Amino acid sequence: MDTTVTLLAGSSRRLVAELRDALDSCAERQRQLERSLRVSRRLLRAWEPAETLAPEPTPGPETNEEAPSAACIPSPQDLKELELLTQALEKAVRVRKGISNAGEGNKAPSLKSGSIATSPATRASAPPSTSHRAGSRASETKPPRGIRQTRVPTKDLPEHRLLSVGDQACMGQGAGATKPKSGLRNEQIVLSAASQAPEAFTLKDKGILLQLPEAFRKAASRNSRLWAQLSSTQTSDSVDAATTAKTQFLQKMQTTSGWPGSRLSATEVEAEVRHLQKACLLLRLRMGEELTAVVEQQLGPWPEGRFPRASLPCGGGADPIWSPQLLLYSSTQELQTLAALRLRVAMLHQQIHLEKVLMAELLPLVSKQEPLGPPWLALCRAVHSLLCEGGQRFLTILREDKPAD
Amino acid sequence: MGRRRRRRRVDPADATRALPEAIAALSQTLPAGPSPETFRRAKFDRPEAAPALWRLLFRVLSPQLADGASASFSPEAQVRSVKLALRTQGYPRRALAQLPDDGSQGGRELLLALAWLLARGPLPERLLTQNRVQLGDEMPVCECEALASPGPPAPSVEADGCVDIRHLQWLMGKLRFRWRNLMASQQEQCALLGKIHSYTRGCHSDRSLGHLSVTETELLRDPEGGRQLLRRLERENARLQAALEWRRRELVFWRWMDTVLGACPPEASQPTFLPRIPTPGTGALEPLVRELQALQGELREAVEARRVAWEAGVGGRGPEWSAARTALREAVGQDLAALRQACERGGSCSLAQPHGPHRLVRTEAGAPGGPGLRAPEVIEALRSQEARLEVVLRQLQGQCRQELARLVGAPPGPVWILPPGR
Repeated sequence: MDTTVTLLAGSSRRLVAELRDALDSCAERQRQLERSLRVSRRLLRAWEPAETLAPEPTPGPETNEEAPSAACIPSPQDLKELELLTQALEKAVRVRKGISNAGEGNKAPSLKSGSIATSPATRASAPPSTSHRAGSRASETKPPRGIRQTRVPTKDLPEHRLLSVGDQACMGQGAGATKPKSGLRNEQIVLSAASQAPEAFTLKDKGILLQLPEAFRKAASRNSRLWAQLSSTQTSDSVDAATTAKTQFLQKMQTTSGWPGSRLSATEVEAEVRHLQKACLLLRLRMGEELTAVVEQQLGPWPEGRFPRASLPCGGGADPIWSPQLLLYSSTQELQTLAALRLRVAMLHQQIHLEKVLMAELLPLVSKQEPLGPPWLALCRAVHSLLCEGGQRFLTILREDKPAD
Repeated sequence: MGRRRRRRRVDPADATRALPEAIAALSQTLPAGPSPETFRRAKFDRPEAAPALWRLLFRVLSPQLADGASASFSPEAQVRSVKLALRTQGYPRRALAQLPDDGSQGGRELLLALAWLLARGPLPERLLTQNRVQLGDEMPVCECEALASPGPPAPSVEADGCVDIRHLQWLMGKLRFRWRNLMASQQEQCALLGKIHSYTRGCHSDRSLGHLSVTETELLRDPEGGRQLLRRLERENARLQAALEWRRRELVFWRWMDTVLGACPPEASQPTFLPRIPTPGTGALEPLVRELQALQGELREAVEARRVAWEAGVGGRGPEWSAARTALREAVGQDLAALRQACERGGSCSLAQPHGPHRLVRTEAGAPGGPGLRAPEVIEALRSQEARLEVVLRQLQGQCRQELARLVGAPPGPVWILPPGR
């Protein structure tokens, strides 16, 4: 038995409008998430090499700086240097393979000093005394450092201007955390660069090598510095003088106007309404705590008379000035928990709001209709489901039929 | 570009430079800011100043529009939009509403309107915050943005008409489904972020950040996009710098605005009839009134029950009773004070409590880390918030259940069998 239950036009409009609004705000969140997901997924796939080989517009001033440009397009000069470096490294690998285990500890300082041209010479003078297995281990761990410390004799270029043709990544300074395996791959990249074999870049394998361009880094640090300055200038002496001047100006504006003063503008009414809605929610939360002793036990008693931070919806009225603040997390699961809880809280806010709206429209409906007829029962069942079970479950109504005589 | 000069003595040359420099800073920090010369002309109500100021006010009052979007509005549409926005905010002078819609006049009045907006709040900072360049992966730690949304627009007259309650059930189901999807997408995004953050660890020049964000990684993947981002960043830096300059110099501007106001003829104080503007907020007043009344009723009931129980428990009216009662009064007083404070506009709320978007930074577990919120703390706060909100929801549902039971009435009515799983 499923009779249709029609609502009044006025109620219908309001309820449908509220539900549609809730659906729209969900859809908006989903859209933003989808946008972010697209970008993130693309970043985790193999990166396409850049289409254009246009020369990098930011030249010269960075000669002594280490930053490669964002485009990381190798110029012919860079390729030549790469060639030289590749040769030097090949030589170094050959030399290192023959080096003893005992001499391993001393390699680092000798590698650090001087150019590659001299180090093979010093190495060659030291007699190799141990087996090759030590050498292969050395070759595994040494290359990253080697790449870092090597000086190309022709020019005073720091090594992180290495550019690999195949990938867009620019080698950086992440070497502290570089695993030996990826270090070996670095070398392979450099060696293969000479042969111009394109190798797709994936974040997973080579993300550590990335480095932000210098221009960007400067702009970004200036940016966060300026924001911090801006949010701290809210309190100072000159500010007080200006505040007084502003208040006086506003008063004069009001007195010289043709309209009678102290009318609440629409914006102010809205703000006041939001204010009161927030107050209602706070009161409800507080009442809820008082009336539910269970909550008290689970979460511990409040400090006397103080509303704990957790229950407060924020001020929100006056947009505070944004200042750079961090949120530190330590695992993906932690991040997921945090995000899920945030959504859950948002959903609960929405559910509470909808519950109030539904109560206001549906309960009067039930009391007005003629009781005990089948349409009324259907209405009651539907209303009960919406109001008491979030629309998810339905109750069963048993009706005792009168005996048929 | 102004030269900074410490003024030990009042140098008249300095004084004449101070105002244009202040206005130049203001103009640079606002979007579409006109030149100081335009401001000067506006003081004398020169017509050539009007169009630039209309455009400026339009940009300032509709910051949600992208940079190029304002071009799609005709000058008349911009003028009307500005007038409406100012009236909505309560602009006190009639003269603005009487300016012609073609935007050809009104320089001085527009200048006053701009000053009025500037005086009421930190306008440049607010505009910069709303449109700022996000370099990190951000997550808000509070819900105030979502809660501040205006709610549904007043339902239009041509709407659906009568609706079957099953349509409502269907809409609720659809809403549930959307939330579930949202949760799933959110979880995926967090997993991807976690990967990107850990794959780029150690790459950031800023040690406190450590790894790259999606935006930063993206700019390395897409150099053209990276160049655009850099340009936006540099533009924002220029505007931020100008905002700081403005804050340092604005006093001279306010003195000047006094003279501008003085130059205006006083408005006649007859009330003019203006057409009613639809106030969006009034739709929410009715439910608010109902809510307050409902709260009052619930409080009364709860208080009554409590009082009876308490008085029975205390037994007698000796000195213990009055001591206990005084203590109770005090506790309630403190609670109320805390509630008032929490409700205050932009009061202790926004200062004491984590608020607004935060940049996500992945750290090694156990590492002390630098300044910043820790995820476990936020999780804890959110969990308790979740618990409290759930209590409120259950209570509301419980009230409905009671009310419906009452309406259905006593037997011999039908028997209600509640769904299982309670």
